[in-house]
Amino acid sequence: MADKILAKDKLDEFIAKLREEADVYAPARVGAKTTWQEVNGAEGLDWDFTNTEMSPKDFFFPQTECMMRFKNAKDDPEGMIMKAEELLPRSRVLLNMRPCDAKAFQVLDMIFVQDEMTDDVYWRDKREKTLVAGLACNEPCPTCFCSSVNCGPHHQVGMDLLFVDLGDKLLVKVLTEKGEAASADLPPAAAADEAKAAELKAAAEAAISSKVSLDKINAREVLDLYNLPMWDKVHEACLNCGTCTFVCPTCHCFDIQDEVQGQEGRRVRNWDYCMSWLFTMHGTGHNPRGKKKDRVRQRFMHKFKYIPVKRDGEIGCVGCGRCIQMCPVNIDVRQVVDQMNS
Amino acid sequence: MQQRTEKIREAAKRLLAEGAVDVVLGYRAGTVPMREQPFAARSVEEADELVWSSFCCNNLANFLVRRDEKTAIVAQGCVSRNIVGLLQENQIDRKRLKIIGVPCLGMVSRSKVLDKIGNKTVFAVEEQGEELVVKGKGFEERLNRKELLRDNCFTCQHRNPVISDEMVCEPVQDAAGGDIDKMAAPWEALAPEERWSTFKEAFADCIRCYACRDACPLCYCHVCFVDESKPQWCGKTQDEADVQTFHILRAFHCAGRCTDCGACESACPMGIKMRVLTSKIEKDVRQMYGYTPGMDEKATPTMSVYRPNDPQDFIK
Amino acid sequence: MSDKEQFEPRIAAFFCNWCTYGGADLAGVSRLQYPPNIRVVRIPCTGRMSPKFILQAFRQGADGIWVSGCHPGDCHYIAGNMYARRRFAVLKNLLEYVGLEPGRIHFSWISSAEATKFQETVIEVTNAVRALGPAKFMLKDIAPQAQREVA
Repeated sequence: MADKILAKDKLDEFIAKLREEADVYAPARVGAKTTWQEVNGAEGLDWDFTNTEMSPKDFFFPQTECMMRFKNAKDDPEGMIMKAEELLPRSRVLLNMRPCDAKAFQVLDMIFVQDEMTDDVYWRDKREKTLVAGLACNEPCPTCFCSSVNCGPHHQVGMDLLFVDLGDKLLVKVLTEKGEAASADLPPAAAADEAKAAELKAAAEAAISSKVSLDKINAREVLDLYNLPMWDKVHEACLNCGTCTFVCPTCHCFDIQDEVQGQEGRRVRNWDYCMSWLFTMHGTGHNPRGKKKDRVRQRFMHKFKYIPVKRDGEIGCVGCGRCIQMCPVNIDVRQVVDQMNS
Repeated sequence: MQQRTEKIREAAKRLLAEGAVDVVLGYRAGTVPMREQPFAARSVEEADELVWSSFCCNNLANFLVRRDEKTAIVAQGCVSRNIVGLLQENQIDRKRLKIIGVPCLGMVSRSKVLDKIGNKTVFAVEEQGEELVVKGKGFEERLNRKELLRDNCFTCQHRNPVISDEMVCEPVQDAAGGDIDKMAAPWEALAPEERWSTFKEAFADCIRCYACRDACPLCYCHVCFVDESKPQWCGKTQDEADVQTFHILRAFHCAGRCTDCGACESACPMGIKMRVLTSKIEKDVRQMYGYTPGMDEKATPTMSVYRPNDPQDFIK
Repeated sequence: MSDKEQFEPRIAAFFCNWCTYGGADLAGVSRLQYPPNIRVVRIPCTGRMSPKFILQAFRQGADGIWVSGCHPGDCHYIAGNMYARRRFAVLKNLLEYVGLEPGRIHFSWISSAEATKFQETVIEVTNAVRALGPAKFMLKDIAPQAQREVA
């Protein structure tokens, strides 16, 4: 599909058009922070952000999500019956999503929606009703290592459109039919613009300073990796908090609970995290991941071995670097992967 | 800082070489600017990685509980007070512990530095005496270290270790200079209805990762109340009530024990200032019961004792 | 205003088994009238009170809390109430510091002989809470409209 051009002074118009049928969200600056906000126009959009602190996975997989409701009343004809929660009432557009985050959703699609038996309606519904327009990274940050994990600063996977910031205008790469429909009114890009975007891409890829290698991890057997002596050291500083998993765009574990108040009840799922001992605690009192070492190992093994083994080499990490930035004790995934790969 | 680093290494190497301890808990240089990593050095070679800087923001006493080895720990004022607290509460064995005391000049707040430079991406931060040199793409700024101290370090009253087996340098002035009574419990100045909305707003960004709890050396319960399920005292959701229950009870559990080390705030990925709660409790305990936590190994923690004339004008 | 006048608060009352609970009993057999707004939970000693109980009551819709135990010196377990007193002081200050209205939470020392004090205190506590209206503090609400907007 041919590339298009969107001048930044035409953005208000573009967003207004999108808003006729959808709610539009984008990273916008509030105070010192850039966070995902609902936007009415181009005002407030942040073109210089590296990335938002929290990944946008909340849009598809909210931290707390009600799945069903029920009434306890036995004599009520509606009592004791689970009623599914209404699905997303209106479509959504997510503008300016970084390619690493978009890629993460493609990874999660493989997990939430696999086949008839494994089909998470809550996830799928939101994915289907959302248009994702990515914004290529022209200035990757020192903790980004996307290009080492099947992703990259101008990667085009998991999104419908990709914007490349050319200064006063955006080059729009049209990637899906949904994206084509949304960008139908835009003028085509000139060859010079495409050349400039290609230049920016090459420059951005060259600017990625962090790299990890996965060749030996891929070649090694699961148990060999599992029994590496490095795990005895890696976990020592870990606090077993949930920061890395909650800021991670691909971490997707959850815990389902029923909450009851009076005669009303709901079934709700919340993000959970493998760093917590409670995550694997059995009703018998046995805990298969009873030690901190087991739990820390699980997170890295899951991302860099278990997911690749089960999902045709796809990696459960997109190299966004959030966990490196946010970990209170500086456990650096790049170092851990290097050790796994040594 | 460099002098402290060298002395810490020297002491650590000696203790490890003598076999006096199996492990030395300290910090090593982090992989991102302004973040040093808690590190367990088990050999003389590893001891060479130990560092001391303005970014040793974790509380190492946190790593002492349920540790079987003979341990040496690098401890500044607040950490030493938490060690005293753990001794009072019978969580650690003094005989198996060596304390390498570090007179502290306060730790720098990462978020204050980032705010100061407008949240630009930082590549490196160097310490040059009382100045921090912050470097990023296309900029280099020199900032005054003292202005960027963490809030708790600014009002710290005990910068020198209260117990130690050896010190890495001469003691510094104990108080950092900030007035704790002026800074503590900031919401006392608000009207009741303002407090409630301020409280809600202050904790609205919480993602319940529990980094504040897990970074805290006071939180050593085998099962935390938020993980209890029968009965479930605190829901698992992001509902305001659940988030607030967690923060109120977490703060209350620190009553009479919190040394205001600031590890919770430094650990929070969302920049939440949970010291607004703990500083209120700390102030109340100080004013009502005249107790400062973690000063005396022989003292009983203030919530485990009583006096016949304790204040009770609120009781009918 | 009419809402407030009609409002009947629900007050979670935690009474020590050895004193106030007996005081409530005595008030009953003495036919002393008091408002029916309290829901009594019997506890072995105020020293057993946990802040969890108080927050849980608010979470589940209590409009007020009342904890009552033995006078200082009269504790069945010698000093449970004395330890409790320290905790209550700090907890009450903390809750009011984060915005709990003064008058939602009450403490008293009432012996099993003080039926009249019991009656008076129920009236006082109920009036105080009724005047404040329904509690929003820490209320867990799972109704659909209360669900947080996504993202």
